[in-house]
Amino acid sequence: MTNPTFNISRRGLLQGAGAFGAASLAFPNIAISQDGSVLTVRSYSDLQVLDPAFRLAAPEGDIIREIFAGLATNSVGDEWTWELYAAEELTQEDDTTVFFRLREGIPFTDGYGTMTADDVKFSIERVADPAMESPYAGDWASLAEVEVIDELSGRIHLTEAFAPLWTSTLPTTTCSILSRRAVEEAGGRIGTEPVAQSGRYLMTEWVPKQRTTLVRNPDWPGEPGGFEEIHIVPIEDPSTAELGFEAGDLDHTWTAVSSIQRLRESPPAGGVVLEKPSLAYVWMGMNNFAAPLDNPNIRRAIQHAIDRQTVVDAAYFGAAATSTGIIAPGLPGHRAANLYNYDPDRARDILAQEGATDLFVTLDILNQSERLTAAQVIQANLADVGITCEIKQNDSGTFWTLGDENSGDYWQRLQLTLNRFSMEPDPSWATVWFTPEQVGVWNWERFDNAEYAELHARGLITRDLAERDRIYKRMQDLMEESGQYVFLTHEVTGVLHRDNVEPGLKPNGEPLFGSFRPA
Amino acid sequence: MLAYVVKRLGLSVVIVSVAMALLFCMIYLVPGDPASVALGPRASEAMKEALRVRMGLDQPVWVQFWNFYSSAWRGDFGVEVLSERPVIDVVLEQLPYTLALIAGGITWSVGLGIPLGCWAAVKRGSLADRLVGVLSVAVIAIPSFVVAIYALLIFSVSLRWLPAIGAGEPGDLGDQLVHLILPSLAVGLGWVGYIARMVRASMLEVLETSHIRTARAFGLPEPMITYRYALTIAILPTVTLLGVGVGQMLSSAVFAEIVFARPGIGRLVYDAILTRNFPVVSGAVLVTTIFFVLVNLIADLVIGALDPRVRSSF
Repeated sequence: MTNPTFNISRRGLLQGAGAFGAASLAFPNIAISQDGSVLTVRSYSDLQVLDPAFRLAAPEGDIIREIFAGLATNSVGDEWTWELYAAEELTQEDDTTVFFRLREGIPFTDGYGTMTADDVKFSIERVADPAMESPYAGDWASLAEVEVIDELSGRIHLTEAFAPLWTSTLPTTTCSILSRRAVEEAGGRIGTEPVAQSGRYLMTEWVPKQRTTLVRNPDWPGEPGGFEEIHIVPIEDPSTAELGFEAGDLDHTWTAVSSIQRLRESPPAGGVVLEKPSLAYVWMGMNNFAAPLDNPNIRRAIQHAIDRQTVVDAAYFGAAATSTGIIAPGLPGHRAANLYNYDPDRARDILAQEGATDLFVTLDILNQSERLTAAQVIQANLADVGITCEIKQNDSGTFWTLGDENSGDYWQRLQLTLNRFSMEPDPSWATVWFTPEQVGVWNWERFDNAEYAELHARGLITRDLAERDRIYKRMQDLMEESGQYVFLTHEVTGVLHRDNVEPGLKPNGEPLFGSFRPA
Repeated sequence: MLAYVVKRLGLSVVIVSVAMALLFCMIYLVPGDPASVALGPRASEAMKEALRVRMGLDQPVWVQFWNFYSSAWRGDFGVEVLSERPVIDVVLEQLPYTLALIAGGITWSVGLGIPLGCWAAVKRGSLADRLVGVLSVAVIAIPSFVVAIYALLIFSVSLRWLPAIGAGEPGDLGDQLVHLILPSLAVGLGWVGYIARMVRASMLEVLETSHIRTARAFGLPEPMITYRYALTIAILPTVTLLGVGVGQMLSSAVFAEIVFARPGIGRLVYDAILTRNFPVVSGAVLVTTIFFVLVNLIADLVIGALDPRVRSSF
């Protein structure tokens, strides 16, 4: 027997390296497994809590939706519709009554039996219970009680009609159903370890900051999920996620709006770029407490000074359109046009009439590149009419408390802000932040209008679509007439997915992971 | 030696104490309300106030300072604001990823820096020496995040040889090592230059000493003289440099962890600062401070053990 020898020449080494490189190129690293059983997707943050009543961000909702079945869920497609999930029947009997019947035999994991109407009652009433202090209690603001008829059926009774019920309450994770026994045994709340899961998928692993693994639920009685496993990777930075997709490590990701143009012109190999209309709204607000913005004519001049088309084109590289309000196209209340448009001559006239020379204002923004670009165009627009504007960049932790009266006194000095909110597909989700109750909380412009408040309350209980349309258009008119708002854009949602994946997306591009399918 | 160890330990305690005081000041002075940020827009004022009370933010500043200080010294960092998981658990589950990243960075910097430094010293004045000098300065000058992005673009996106994101399959050491190559290169490349320069300078000094001349006079082979007799002495300053380098690599780890979407202390702290999750910020920063102080302490003790002149200076 001889000892094996391992001799390698320089030429041999180079040949080996070359062969290795060629092999790497021939079999590129791709995320989806060869049998198509694992889907790897990006979320923009890691999970912190899995309790539907206390979820913090959309990525947690995306997981909760899959592991805790709700009565209904959003449908995939371009229209805001819903479909049955845990319920086999869900009907509105009158303005204040909804009947439901659960599918038979939906099992909870961990030995907690099957889902019953009593679990539905528990799950809905715990969100609405003021003692629970759920931030989502408002989704059930009109709840009277949930009546249990028998093991699988019951009725949801409301105190008055509630228009957002079918758009932003029932199909959302606010209505995810938990096991009463499991939650009570867990001390009343769910943390990061799910108990008694019941959805299309089961969460089997969470490696913080690295991955959440969902596995297809073998006992789910309805249509199974499209992939055996879903790996959800938290990546905060959209550019990193785009590179991860281009490197083949991801099958699906959102993109930065500013990247859409580049990706559209040069899509990654095996990648498909989609653009979806977003529900988010971006605006420049003016705090009427802080001089000189306490003068409505100065505010009007600033409205006329802003060239919103240029602002949006510059910030989003032509990927987004300008907006006419806070309610996106396709929803009741979307307006056809703004009331006050770009007219720098008019702005200069107003300023001259007011004797306003050497005006100086500050513009607070979040430290993101899109916001900074938008702010710089606004700064140039204002300079064009004789107003000096200083841009103040803030990190997110600072920015989101700038106008809050309980977070110091900066709200008194806050002048212009560039802001962005996202929302569910009901106009009330957009208008709620600008009511008098929200002054000094999220209404940083301190827009205080009694008619607006009355209309907001009326909009919540009005089910007639035409009437709702009038209500919400009037509300945005009031906002703009106050001179405190320049509506900029609804942005657009960029989506990247592999061509061997059929993504399940809501109309605004948000993912429904359980509805992803191999193409 | 015992007096030296005691003095260095005492100094380490003072450094950690000062770091804690500075950390508290930074946390206290930074604008933003943790409760508002943590609970989001839909939380009522009552909920936010309850969270402020739970976090002790309603207390006078000196009470907050005392609570922070006394708890930290007891090793009690509290619980994470929202998930209510113990902060120490949150920190310790991220720490191994960062330690692996730094170990990888040190491997790159030592593995390339020492041979390059030796080579340049042996070839003093040659083209190779000048080339190593230029390369060393070049890699020192390139920021680690630039290295990270270009390494990712070349080896992950273009060539697809190495993964772009993550830390590898849990439990699969091979996969985790593959995921470590690019981030550790980004963290360690700059230190290749530092170490190469340091080793070269140190080697040149040692190669001129009488015991090396004696070794040559005895006819010992040149590689033995260089690597066995000269390098073992010339490498001492590099140990001190690496102690400082670990701190620098901890800073670079933040970029590497964000660019490569790796778990780790840097990304944990970055996210926690943005969300004003102060218990996590303080826990993670204190753990890394203690780690840094310990590494420098060990480096000093090693140098002290090897060089009596250092011991006697204390």
